Amino acid sequence: MPDTEKLSAAQRSRVRRMSRPRELSPDEEGGELNIVPFLDIITNVLMFVLATITVTFTTMIDSTPPRNSGSSVRPPGKPTLSLNIIVIDKGFIVSAFGQRIGEGCNGPGSGVAIGMKIQDGVQDYDFSALNACAKRLKNQVPEAADETNATVTANANIPYQSIISTVDAIRKADDGQVLFPDITFGVPK
Amino acid sequence: MNHPPGPPQPIAPQKPASLAVYKRELRKAVARSRVEPEITFLNITAMMDMMTIILVFLLKSLSTSTASLPQSQDLQLPKSILTTEPDSEPEGLAVLVSKSQIIVGETVVCPVPADAAQYGIEAKYKRGSRNDYFIVPLGSALQSWRDTDKRIRMATGRDPNQSEAILIADVSTPYRLLTEIMFTLGQAEFSKFHMMVLQGGGKTGTK
Repeated sequence: MPDTEKLSAAQRSRVRRMSRPRELSPDEEGGELNIVPFLDIITNVLMFVLATITVTFTTMIDSTPPRNSGSSVRPPGKPTLSLNIIVIDKGFIVSAFGQRIGEGCNGPGSGVAIGMKIQDGVQDYDFSALNACAKRLKNQVPEAADETNATVTANANIPYQSIISTVDAIRKADDGQVLFPDITFGVPK
Repeated sequence: MNHPPGPPQPIAPQKPASLAVYKRELRKAVARSRVEPEITFLNITAMMDMMTIILVFLLKSLSTSTASLPQSQDLQLPKSILTTEPDSEPEGLAVLVSKSQIIVGETVVCPVPADAAQYGIEAKYKRGSRNDYFIVPLGSALQSWRDTDKRIRMATGRDPNQSEAILIADVSTPYRLLTEIMFTLGQAEFSKFHMMVLQGGGKTGTK
């Protein structure tokens, strides 16, 4: 009966030898470089660099030099906004449609159109009111809807940050309407 | 009754099993002694790919955002609500205005006096009196760069009648000094300025 057949000693020996797990030679088992320590170092360095670096994302505000008033040709009779903002120590003087805008930005008048605001005991420019004023003036005359130019002038001592904040305030309305993104800087008389 | 030990009996040679039995036993033995493959190292190729991409992305974004610009007490850029990148990478001459000096490219052209908010740059650097807007050493440095840029623009087929400048100024730079610099830039045929600002700042006037 084949089930009761026993292997001979030679056969058992051969079975043992052939069933033994094959050991890899040194050149076979070193198939990939162990770069885990290297990766540890790189990760640490990367984390350190990211934690210590001061990332500053910058952008640009474009401007052109002032032009002579006679250089631009406009169709006669078309009302032009010609927004002009002067930054002074007490606020903003606003001129539009060839006349000065009065206090509160409600119509022609004299004085400072938008005064300073006091917030948390600190006096600062009211850029929100300037934004609303620019929007109101832009929407006042339909023909001026496509006008995107404005002139910003300031007193000699006004710091650069206030100028940039003024430019930002008249760039776009809160609802996304484009107001006056093209800025020309004027020279105070 | 004990039998006296005789000479050892020779072991009879065992009859080998059939080939089928031998093969079956061999298969069983191989299956028994099989060792499950052990994970001796982690396959990190995919992670390395990912990290390389992140690293390249970081380096690229940092280089385009000019993060290398040194921010110090002497030069702090103003903050703007703008959060968008400029349409194209601005090119032009970098004019740097810190609290203490004006630098064109890498050359210091003149110092910024403490009373610049009132009269601008000192009279000895002006063309005429201190009320003049033209800064002579700045104008000379700009003109030299302008001549080179004009030749490059003519050779590359761009408009040679204008050059561009990148204005990098400190937050506290007074408007008087800014107008002097912009006036001098205009005199040197620089028709477009890019004012560098920090993205995402609030509406504070630093009054």
